[in-house]
This record gives sequence, structure tokens and C-alpha cells, in this order.
Amino acid sequence: MSVRRRLALALAVGAVGLGLLPGAPSASGSTAVSPASPSSPAAAPAAEGGYSRTRTVTREVLDAEGGVDPTLSTSYRMTVKADRTTDLRGRERVAISWSGAAPSGGRASNPYGEKGLLQEYPVMVLQCRGTDDADLPLAKQVRPETCWTSSVAQRSQRLRSRSESTWLVDRYADEADRQPVSGMDPFPAADCPGLDTTVANTHLTEFVAQAGRTYPACAADRMPPEAAVDAAFPPSELAAYTDLDGKGAVQFEVRSSVENESLGCSHQVACSIVVVPILGISCDRPSAPMTSTDRACRKAGRFAAGSSNFAEEGVDQAVSPSLWWSASNWRNRFSIPVTFGLPAGVCDVLDPRAPTKFFGSELMAQAALQWAPAYCLRDDRFNFALSQMPDNAGWENMENGAGPAAFVSSEHQQAGADPVGYAPTAVSGFSVGYTIDRPDNGGEYDRLRLNPRLLAKLLTQSYLGSDLGRGHPGIGDNPMAIMDDPEFVKLNPGLSRNVQEAGATLLSLSVSSDLIRQVTAYIAQDADAMAFVSGTPDPWGMKVNPAYQSLDLPRDEWPLLDSYVPETQNECLKQNPTVYFTQLASPVSTLRTIADALIDAWPYVQTRCEYDTATSTYKLGRKDRQNYGTRFMLGLVSLGDADRFGMRSAALLTSKGRYVAPTDQSLSAAVGLMRRSGAHRPFTVTQQAITAAGDAYPGTMVVYTTAKLENLARTQARQVASFIRIATSEGQVRGRGNGDLPGGYLPIRKSGVTAPLWRAAQQTASAIEAQRGAGTTVPEEVPPPSDAGPAASGDTAAPPAETPSKAGPGATPTSADDTLRTSATTETKSSLGNVLLPMLFLVGGLAIASSVVSQLVGRRSGTP
Amino acid sequence: MTAPTVPQAPPAAGVADPPSGAAPPRRPQPARRAERPPRQPRRPVQGTPALVSSISTMVALICLWAVLHLLVLAQVSHARAQDLLFDEFRVQLAGATAPVDGTAEPGAPVALLRIPRLDLEEVVVEGTAPGDLFAGPGHKRDSVLPGQVGTSVVFGRAATYGAPFADLAELEAGDRIEVTTGQGELDLTVLGVRRAGDPVRPRSDGFARVTLVSAEGSGRLAGFRPGEALYVDAEAPKGFPSPGGYSPAVPTSEEAMARGVESLPSVCLGLALLIALTLGVIAARLRWSVGLVWVVAAPVAIALAWFTTDAAMRLFPNLI
Repeated sequence: MSVRRRLALALAVGAVGLGLLPGAPSASGSTAVSPASPSSPAAAPAAEGGYSRTRTVTREVLDAEGGVDPTLSTSYRMTVKADRTTDLRGRERVAISWSGAAPSGGRASNPYGEKGLLQEYPVMVLQCRGTDDADLPLAKQVRPETCWTSSVAQRSQRLRSRSESTWLVDRYADEADRQPVSGMDPFPAADCPGLDTTVANTHLTEFVAQAGRTYPACAADRMPPEAAVDAAFPPSELAAYTDLDGKGAVQFEVRSSVENESLGCSHQVACSIVVVPILGISCDRPSAPMTSTDRACRKAGRFAAGSSNFAEEGVDQAVSPSLWWSASNWRNRFSIPVTFGLPAGVCDVLDPRAPTKFFGSELMAQAALQWAPAYCLRDDRFNFALSQMPDNAGWENMENGAGPAAFVSSEHQQAGADPVGYAPTAVSGFSVGYTIDRPDNGGEYDRLRLNPRLLAKLLTQSYLGSDLGRGHPGIGDNPMAIMDDPEFVKLNPGLSRNVQEAGATLLSLSVSSDLIRQVTAYIAQDADAMAFVSGTPDPWGMKVNPAYQSLDLPRDEWPLLDSYVPETQNECLKQNPTVYFTQLASPVSTLRTIADALIDAWPYVQTRCEYDTATSTYKLGRKDRQNYGTRFMLGLVSLGDADRFGMRSAALLTSKGRYVAPTDQSLSAAVGLMRRSGAHRPFTVTQQAITAAGDAYPGTMVVYTTAKLENLARTQARQVASFIRIATSEGQVRGRGNGDLPGGYLPIRKSGVTAPLWRAAQQTASAIEAQRGAGTTVPEEVPPPSDAGPAASGDTAAPPAETPSKAGPGATPTSADDTLRTSATTETKSSLGNVLLPMLFLVGGLAIASSVVSQLVGRRSGTP
Repeated sequence: MTAPTVPQAPPAAGVADPPSGAAPPRRPQPARRAERPPRQPRRPVQGTPALVSSISTMVALICLWAVLHLLVLAQVSHARAQDLLFDEFRVQLAGATAPVDGTAEPGAPVALLRIPRLDLEEVVVEGTAPGDLFAGPGHKRDSVLPGQVGTSVVFGRAATYGAPFADLAELEAGDRIEVTTGQGELDLTVLGVRRAGDPVRPRSDGFARVTLVSAEGSGRLAGFRPGEALYVDAEAPKGFPSPGGYSPAVPTSEEAMARGVESLPSVCLGLALLIALTLGVIAARLRWSVGLVWVVAAPVAIALAWFTTDAAMRLFPNLI
């Protein structure tokens, strides 16, 4: 009985023991790769330098007795948020949103600049110099006079009748501002002839430039140069619309002193984004009887909330954005203080040392912008500079010694004899950026979906663009542009189908680039897209442009192959016979150019005809900017630019109908699929594998710092190695400051899915620093270092001593090139495997002994 | 099971069966066993020694069972699996249905591997997870099939489950390896053995490479301590074309020396059933005789132990 019971107890104990057994050693034991921990999605950059403030904004209209008139007075509890406020760069777009504001009425089709004035109850967003701090000297404070507007009408009221002069009865305004002629003291009568009169009312809000000059803003030629008609940059200030639920949001583009010298915002000059909710003029006590001004001031808007004003009818001045500068509106402002980062050329100015130029990929542009000051402003580092050029050119420069290192994002053909190492430095990629408006002022479209065939259609110039393309042989029945393509309409319903020439093309690069290779590889992996390229019509009957039929994909450079010159009666085109589809495509040489074109919605389509009266000739030029509300433009941009400039990125089709947009998760998923073929080699993954995975972004690209592993000058080798180490440590911290990693890049971390990249970077950095080749030499010298150890014991089953001598001749190298690239076998060992069986033996034996002894002891002690 | 059957021995040498009586004096057992009186319930050992004894007995049982399983019983199951796989693969070869791309399910036969020098003939199965390698050498799923142009990676166990790749290190450059797949037969020539730190041999275009991976130990008892991965490269100048379709990556549990935790639930289930069996035995003992209970319970216990050990071995590195 007792034996059985003991056995039962033993079984139970043993069961527990067996359960624990694998657990205990596995905690410390095996060196096998542990499952990659899922990378935590990087914290949204909004957390850093964001802005959020809530306050009560009011309009207080007084009645005849001097009390507040409750029927006209309004009060709102409004919250304003901004996603980024520190280290801004020129043209960067800040997402500003608000809630609790008064619903707008009379919505304009274009809220920017002068065109946004004919609205009621909008929210004015402006960029102003200075900060909102009463303790600062006047020159450093935000005032309406330091706020940028691109037109006179936004600043000044000129020769207004009594019923259009509501600012005169603003109860918060100074007495001086309530005079018929006000705004500048003394009034610049010489600059502004005809305005200094008592017949009509005038108020000027002059502009004070950073350099100190004051522009009276009483006429278009009395404005700062950047506000000239057809200025280089379109207006950025706007009177934004608040929806019926009190919410609104804009992408506000800030300008640095590079883009707008008069405004002059820079890393040394503090600025603010000022949000002025227009609630209306707080009218003073009316005179008895009421004047026409008093009555005009008490108007509450003629448009219903939520309505539109496409006909550009007049609005009630008291609640219009024209008077954003009036004391009643200005006192309700939210000032978002912003700081600007160092300008791009700061290292050239501040660092006298010669720059060490790293050639290559433009994917690094945004990262290099923030990284460079972290090198050149420190004496213990070198003067790092990115010299952007096509990946191939950068690679060649690195190989022939013109520069120490190159940034590339795929494997390149090695021309020289020296081995080259690839150190992963950044994870980014391409994005199909877009600016598309929904019809009927529905705002910007934000969920564009594209598939490889649509990209193939755009790139192969298979859309006709306009009736001019109808005569193209072979494809005369194709859709005019992508918005008219049933396949696109099916993917992206609800968009306008009105054809624009810009919709027939994807603005792309004219030069060779790894990015083009990635895009074309994405097309090439898709059976439908390749069937289309090889000549099979799509299900709707669209055919590929014969000039591109059976084009070899993927490729590094996209050629312009079409040669169709349309026949037309158009005089301009007769004088300028050109290949029409090439005019439509008009590829450019840098990604930044594409990004700028997308920000401005200004396609590079070169089909505008101009008549030069002086020479009586026609010439072709770039089309005009697209009108707000009907914008439609697609372009190939880098993820870094897309994030910096707040551009939207299309979601691309992967497998099984899944559309994947670039996010940290989808980039991580793609990185997780990448494998390295050997030490110092690039990480590769096929597009098939990425699309098969489903959740990985097909545009993911790893940028490598490549440098020679032999015959690089010692100082240069040390610089490159230190660059790689810094870039993969402090350079991978998300942030907006010097040396931080901007948005649009996936940080390479020591742990998680990017850990192999990080380890590879450290390994290659050491190899570059050592300059001793790729780690091994010719196989004749094979004696494996690891063999010396095991051989000493001598009782192993394997005779390792024999192995090396025989391995040598067996491993016949086919070419010297190949042997140089070989890498060492990585060590894979498991201490668990080492100890498992001996340990089981040992523990089993000990347990038997222990059992026997305890039996003995128990029996003996049980004996009386 | 061990305690009651300790052999009878001279008094000083071992544990003697407690004689009957309340206070039996220690004295030599009678030499004539046949005359021994029927066994009487022995006085149980009590207190701490009893506990220590029980625990030790059980630990010993488990450890030695595991050793027995890994070195002996698993060899039986490996041989059986190979037999079945060989039959299955033979039929597939004859019917031209053997897989030639990455479509084979894990565990299915994909190739026949012969190494004359080692007198080895094994059916290679798809997959390199610890459980796949129970049946025989496994083909790593992100590499081409053996014999195809490219580098095919085949893992095999070095010490347990029949230890198909135990003697891999004995191969020398020039030895022959024959692989048979759905695409035909191919003879490869061994290039040599590689260990950690040795240069990876470059493969020329068009060559078919098979890399056999196993483990080896060092020092004393090297054969039982397979802790470090070992590679053997073999090449043929011309291989079969590869149709592709291989998965781009394999789970970490299928890399060399890797292990997974997927089988933890099975281990827990097996242990729970063992406990249930124990309780069942205790309950049954109240009604039926010892012999009857053990006749019924022993096969169940062995089957459960077998299942549980197999499941537990999936938690250990795949090459040992």
C-alpha cells in the first residue's frame, strides 16, 4: 500500500518536475535566436512639441443702455491643437485642429489668401513673427502688424462706406483706431495717395518686416516683395471652415526666412502660428438713433451655418475674416509659439572644416537635414554633408574614391576590386503622394488606394490626357485620365470624374534611382499589371501604350519612349510640335521637386500655350496651379518628405485585396521579412514575399551607408565608422531636434524587428574601421579558428584536424571576386543541447542514489 | 517501481526487505528464497526521508525515462517513421507526384538522401521545426529543394531520435552524397565541413548546393553533447531548375538550434493526463488487485509518457 502511495506521490511530484525541466534551462541556456519581440509602434511625434489650449472666446455686443445684449452676444469654449511646434523647417506643414468653435457659413471654394475673405465665422490661421508675451519688448511680440498676409485686402480696409466700417464701433478698439482714417500714425499720405480723406473710412494694418522696414499695405505695390502677384509660393494663411459640430482642421504650411525673408522666421527669430476665431465685432453702445454703422455691426451673417458661397457673394463684414486684426477678434486669438530648426546650409556657414561628403540617395534628405548639425557643430566629430545624387552615381563616386561613402538602398554592381560593406542606416521608402480634393468642397480625399496595374497604366503613359491623345495609334479608346478609369473609380469611389491632364500621369523621376527600381519591382511582381504591360487589355478594355509594350521590368530608370506628335489645328501646337505624352509626364530630377509640386498642387504638365506678343511666337510652358477644390495630382515622393510636408500617401495593394499604407507597423512588417545573404551584404526581400505577407508596405526601403572595406584612407574609414555608429544609436531616436530621426523613418533599434539591421550596422562599421577586407581571405588559408579548441580533447567523433586540409582544395573558388565577398560562418550554438543528455544522466543517477540513501536513513531512523 | 525490487543482498551491502514483526532485529536473510514467507505489508518509511525518497525516485524515473526515450525508444519511432515515409515517397516518385517546389506540407517527404560513406539512407521531410526532425532530416523551408540550383539546407539530429546526422563530421571533401527528388537523382560532392568562424564557401551560378546542418559536441562525451552547429557543404556543377515558391522566411523555431514554445499546451495536457492516470490507479487499487490494475494501466502510462516526452522535446533545440 505504502509503495503505491509513494509511487503516486512520486508521479505527481515528477509530473511537476518534468513540467519545470524544460523551463529552467531554457531561460539561460540556448543562444538560438529568441523570437523577435513585436516592435512597439513608435510614439506619435505629436507628443513632442505639440500644442493644446482651451479658452473661452466671446463676442459681446452692447445695447442702448450699455448692458450686454444677450441676443447678439455669443460665447464659445474653444480648443485648439497643433501636432508639432518645435524645430520646424521651411514649408513644413503643421496639422492644426480645433473644436468648440462657431460653425462657419458661406464657405468659399478656396480658403487661402484673398479668396477666403468672403466667408462668415471662419477661423483665421496666420503665421506671425514674435511671441504672445506682454513682458517682451514690442518688437518681439505678436501683433497684427507682424502677421503675414499675401494680399492688401486681407490687411487693410480702404475707402469704406459707413455701413462697411464696422471696426469704427468696436468697443475694444482704441480711440485712435476708431477714427475715419486709422492704422498708421502718422498716416503715410505720400505712399498712399487719396486715402487720407474724411469722405470714406480707411484702416491700414501695416506690415513690419523682420529687417525693420514698414510696408503700409495700402496698395499692392506697398506690400512686401513676397506678397507680390504670382509670388513664388502660394498663400499659406487661410480663413478655415468650421463644420456644424464646431470642429475644423487644416494643414498649415509654415515659411522660414528662406521662403519669406520679410516675415523672417528662423532658428533665431521666434514666431507664432496665430489662430483667430472670427466671432464678429463686439459693438459698442449704439448712438440714438442707430447709425448705419451700428446696424451693420449688429449683423450676424447672411449665410446659414454650413452653407457655401461659391458665387462669391458679399458677406456681412462684422463676421467676416477681413477684420481679423480688429481688437474684438484679435483678443480671442490662440497664439501657438513655434520654433524653427537650423537652416539646411548651417554647416557650411558655421563649420570652417571641409565637409566630408556622403554621396547618394535622396531618401536620406530629411534625416541628413537634422543629422548634419549634430556632426558639424561638435569639434569631436567631422563635418558631415549629404550630397544628393542618383544612387548609381553615388555608388560610383564611392568606388572610385571621390567620397568616402555612399548611401544606396539596394545592391549595386561592384566595379572595383575592393570589397564594399553595406551598413543599414535608415529604414524609409517611397510613397505615392497625392493631393486630391473631393467634389463639392468635401475637403481633401484621404484614403487613396492604388494597385500595381494603375501604377503601370500611369507610368506607361497609357492615359490619353486630353482629346489630343485620341489620335495615338492603338490606344485611342483608353480613358483620358486615371479619374475616368473604371478601375480607379471602383477603388476610390466618390471622386470627381472630370478629366484633368495631370490625372494622366504620375510625377516621377527622370534619373536612375533605387526608388524607381522598387516601384517597378512592385509592378513586376503583380501578374495583372504585367499582363497589362505585355499587351493584354484590362477587364475594361484599356490597352497599354504600344511604345511601352513588354517593357522589361523592374528597372532603375523610367524611359520616355512615346513618340506620338498629335495633329491639330491649334496654332500654338503647330508651331511647337512636341511629343504630347512626354509633355504630360515631364519627369523631374529630384524627389523634393515632386514634393514641392504636390504641396502647391502645381503639376509639371508642360502643355500651357503662351503667346509672346513681342516676338509673335507661341511657347509651351508649365500649366497653372490647380484650383483649390478641384486639385488632382499624384507624385512619387520619399516617406521622409511625405511626413515633413504633411502629404498623404496612397495605400498600395498587397495580397488578397489588402491595401497597405506606410506606417510604422507596415514598415516593420516588411523589415521583418528581409534577410541578409552574408556579412556586410545588403538585406533583401522579394516583392512577392512582401505582397504575400499582406501587412507589409511594398515601398519599404533600407538605406545603407556603403564604404570600401579595404584601401580607404584611415581618417575617412574612421569617420564613416563613427557616422554609422552615431546614426544607428542617437540618430535613431525619434525627434525634431538636431541629430534626431525625423518622421517618415522607422527607427533601427537594438531589439525588435530591426535588431538584425542594427547588428549588421555595427558589424560593418567595425569592418570599415578595420579596413581588413570582408573578414576572410582566400580559402586556402582556411584553418578554422574554432577547430583548435575541440581538437585538443582529442576524443571527439570527428577528426577536425583533417578537415581543413581537405576543405581547402574542395572549395574551389570560381573567381577572385567571389572569394573576397565570402563571410564567416556564424556561430550557432546551444548550451541546452550541450548539457541536456549528460544532465539527464547525472540527475537521474543522483536521484537514484538519493532515493536509496533516504530509504536507508528512513528505515534506520524508524528502527527503535 | 524501483524501491520494492531492490535486489536482496548481504546485510551490509544494501537495503533489505524489512522483516515481519514489530521490531525486527537486523539479521541476514535466509539464503533459500523459496522458503520465504508471503510478503507482509512493510512498515512504511515516514517523515522527511519518505518525502525525499519519493521525490528522488520520481526525478530518477523521469530523467532515466527521458534518456531511455531519446536514445532508444525514439530510435524506434524514427525508424518506423522512416519506413512509412520511404513507402510514401516511393509511391510519390513512381506517380510523379513528389513535390518539386515549396508546396509540400511540413512533415511530408521531399527527398531521399544517401551518404554511402556513412551508410546513411534517410527520407528528408519538409520543415525543420524540432517536431519535424523527429521523423528524419528536415528541409529548411526557405531554401530550394535538394538538388535544385541554389543552396538547399537540410537539418538533421545529432544525438536523439535515431541521430541520422550523428557522424556528419566524418565526411571529407570528395565524398559522395546522392539525393533523389521528384526531379531525378543527383550526385553531389562534399566540399568540406564548416564550423563557426570558417569562411562560407561561395556558390557559383548554376551550381546545386546542399548544406547539411547538424550539431556536434566537444570534450568528454562529445557524442552526447551536441551543442554547436556543424555544416557540411556539398555541390554539383549542374542542378535541377528551381520553380520557386519557397517561403521567404521561416519562423524562428525552424532556424538552426532553435526551439519553439508551440507545444507547451501539449506538454501540459500530457502531464495532466499522467496525473489523472495516477489518481485513477490509486482509485482502482482499492477495488482490484495490483496485477490487474498494472496490466491495464501500464500501457496507458507508457503511451502517455511517450506522448509527453515527444511534446517536451519540441521545446528543445532541433539539432540535438
